[in-house]
Amino acid sequence: MIIPICVHHVTIVGSVLSILDVLIVRLRCLVLAASVPFRMQIGIRKGILCIAPFLFLIFCSFYAHASNLTMDCTECHNKEQFTAGFSKSVHSDNGCTSCHRPFQSIDRHISNQEKPFLISCGKCHSEIANEYKKNFHYIYEDFKCQDCHYEIHSLKKQQKGSKIPIIKGCTKCHANEEYVSSGHSAAVLKGNNDSAVCSDCHGLHDTRVYHTSLEANTAEAREFYSRKCISCHSDSVMMKRNKLSHKTVEYYEETYHGKVQDLGYATRVAGCADCHTTHNILSRDNPDSTINPKNLVKNCGKCHSNFHPRFAEYKAHPDYKNKNRYPALYWSFVFMVFLLLITFSFFWMHTLLWWRKVYWEKYRLEKLGIILESPLPHEQAIQEIKRFSGKERIMHVLLIISFFGLVITGFPLKYHSTAWAKALISVMGGAHNAGLYHRVAAIILIGLFLYTFWLGVSFIFSKGKGRAGIRGWIDRLFGPDSLMPNKNDWPQFKGMVKWFFGKGDMPQFGRWTYWEKFDFLAVFWGMFIIGGSGITLWAPEAASYIYPGWVFNIASIVHSEEALLAVLFIFTVHFFNTHLIPTKFPMDPIIFTGRQKLEELKRFRSLEYDRLLRENRLDELKIKHPGIAMKIFASMFGLASLWLGIIFTLILLWTFFFA
Amino acid sequence: MPFKYPKLCIISILLLFSLIALPAKAGSPRYINPEETMRLIKENKALTVDTMSHIECMDHRIPGSICIALEEFDKDAPSLMKDKKRTTVFYCESKNCRRAGEVYQKALAMGYEDIYILKGGLPEWKSAGYEVETIKRVRRTPVVSIKINQLEKMKAEKKNLLILDVRTEDMFKKGHIEGAMNMPMYMLHKKFHSIPGSRPIIVVDENGKRSFIVCSFLINNGFKDVQRLFGGMAFKEKQDRIR
Repeated sequence: MIIPICVHHVTIVGSVLSILDVLIVRLRCLVLAASVPFRMQIGIRKGILCIAPFLFLIFCSFYAHASNLTMDCTECHNKEQFTAGFSKSVHSDNGCTSCHRPFQSIDRHISNQEKPFLISCGKCHSEIANEYKKNFHYIYEDFKCQDCHYEIHSLKKQQKGSKIPIIKGCTKCHANEEYVSSGHSAAVLKGNNDSAVCSDCHGLHDTRVYHTSLEANTAEAREFYSRKCISCHSDSVMMKRNKLSHKTVEYYEETYHGKVQDLGYATRVAGCADCHTTHNILSRDNPDSTINPKNLVKNCGKCHSNFHPRFAEYKAHPDYKNKNRYPALYWSFVFMVFLLLITFSFFWMHTLLWWRKVYWEKYRLEKLGIILESPLPHEQAIQEIKRFSGKERIMHVLLIISFFGLVITGFPLKYHSTAWAKALISVMGGAHNAGLYHRVAAIILIGLFLYTFWLGVSFIFSKGKGRAGIRGWIDRLFGPDSLMPNKNDWPQFKGMVKWFFGKGDMPQFGRWTYWEKFDFLAVFWGMFIIGGSGITLWAPEAASYIYPGWVFNIASIVHSEEALLAVLFIFTVHFFNTHLIPTKFPMDPIIFTGRQKLEELKRFRSLEYDRLLRENRLDELKIKHPGIAMKIFASMFGLASLWLGIIFTLILLWTFFFA
Repeated sequence: MPFKYPKLCIISILLLFSLIALPAKAGSPRYINPEETMRLIKENKALTVDTMSHIECMDHRIPGSICIALEEFDKDAPSLMKDKKRTTVFYCESKNCRRAGEVYQKALAMGYEDIYILKGGLPEWKSAGYEVETIKRVRRTPVVSIKINQLEKMKAEKKNLLILDVRTEDMFKKGHIEGAMNMPMYMLHKKFHSIPGSRPIIVVDENGKRSFIVCSFLINNGFKDVQRLFGGMAFKEKQDRIR
């Protein structure tokens, strides 16, 4: 507080000393001027020796001057904030010149010509000053420290452990009556410092421009604020302390809203604040709360329109593993998990045993140098027999395209937190575009499904096309041309298992094997589940006129898990059984070329061969060898699809185990 | 013979190019970034012109700037910007810089040649880390901002409430809150004495960004009951549309 240069002008001592001051300055100038020629003539060292007595004199007089002139700024500046206020303030250990630059002339200071310029608070508080340079209040309102801290001279040390001063400070201008009546505010006022105050969301010295303008910086701000909510509400220790679930965030991220948000497209979906509001966050029981059951319809209506009130029964972040609270979700999830487990444990085992048998057998023949003889004369053996019609082949190509389309656009949403998902989505131009492509692919698949359904119906109920021994629709449904399982499949399956273990020959098959029937029917039944749930999620508002909102939660689980089932089944089981099995490796182009050699038909599907002979239809199925263009297309498209599927499976496996 | 008159060809091509270039020069203004502006200022080449109101300009401006409000540019430019060939940078206090843009067009019409708009305005200047200078600071005071529904209530409760619209005369003419008094910001420092001090005041601006400093200015000058409208007229109009 004692500042040597601050001098009071009206005291007589002061006036006398001012005169002395001037004299001393003049004397110093004189001495310095006189020393120049000395230095030039006799060198610096000797020069200093010569002027040393003078320097000593000046030093003594200046010291006396300074110690005598030690004056107090508060003699003039004697307001409360500079005297008692300052001595009790947080800066009381500092002197006036810690913050005010000393001035050159007291007279000029007194006559208001020389102001002791303020130095930046950032000289000491450099970290805050750096943060503050990006602050909204600085950039747009040119606020300085004192504009929020007010009377900076009597600034008290902040009470540690209370957030209330922050609320008080901000609400001086931002009279946010909504926040003040919110749950967060009520908790803070009760002394709960876990609860959020202004600065927890908006920052204190680092209030960014976009923190305050949702409209101008929608994407940044939405992303930013949701992260703020998440940072506390996923803190398990803090949430436990406050009897809240820290898993709410996790459950939210399992929903469509949460997944898209996590992918980085927060503007398109409901973030935390869209349902819970920004400042007026109240508990569910409060009748004014936006999430109170009475207000839910209105709340959902902020984004959705034309829905039945039961639309609002959708659970925004349910714990589908909670049997008591969400039984329907729980059992849907359990069902899907078991469906996956059973399907894969059966088919992977089947494929593995099959592969082992074929590989071992091939190795045995190779070792013994046996080349299997054709069961037919050469000319007959190389005859091509039609297996699939042109229409069927085109249908499969379309199926592959739409399937990959659905997988590539849908799976990033399922595994939203992985880097590959984010990269894929950004390549597609965002979650919105991906959704659009997903729907286009879905339309193709639904079209194929409906057409197949029509083909099936017209096959079963066709008139006058019955072949020998086939009458009525039941015979057709379970006949050799049908893809419906029949009495032959079980013995064939048993025969296969016996063959796997070397207990018999490979059984003979008809037109369709049991695994081919499963491939077909699995896709067919899967279409009801995945298509039904997909359409529900596509138009949830319209769907709400049929069933309540919580069905959408089930639809999400089912759609997602069924997709995983389909993808893994096609890319592992179907790929192995049809293409990667050593007898066909790397691929069987039959679905693209539509034809097989008569030898293959006889060797593998002898029941069908015999039937065709019996019915005298072999000749009408004879077809030319495929053209070179067809072969090239079949190989390229087939192999590309295979590779794509295998790569995708590897990515999925990596995701399961490492991501 | 297409190249029989090569000079004519070149001249006509140049003419064609200049035709393309001309509207571009007149239509799209030239922008300059803060770094380049700073370089020009240091080399003493550029004059910077703050196009905000006098109050705002005196409160904070790029060091060495002159203050010419958009509304007073026609009147003040001839005396304050005598050298029509000097590099001049106009700026205002929003990222879009509408005011600086309007001044730019005016200056262009008045024959100023080497002129620019500061890209991103003062916010960008500050974000780039450059200082501003203060000539006469408006001490900031706590000012309550009220929302439009509260304003309706207040109008009913306080009969002598004064709604002070600080937008330009043109904007005021196009539409304003019923009973509002117009006092454009650029003349506020001269004419604030004519505002009745005894009445409670609600300050209304364009978009809520400038009313704060107006309120602080008024409170510093002895006005007691001064509040501002949240979001300004833009927010009010938006709310009206939603309703």
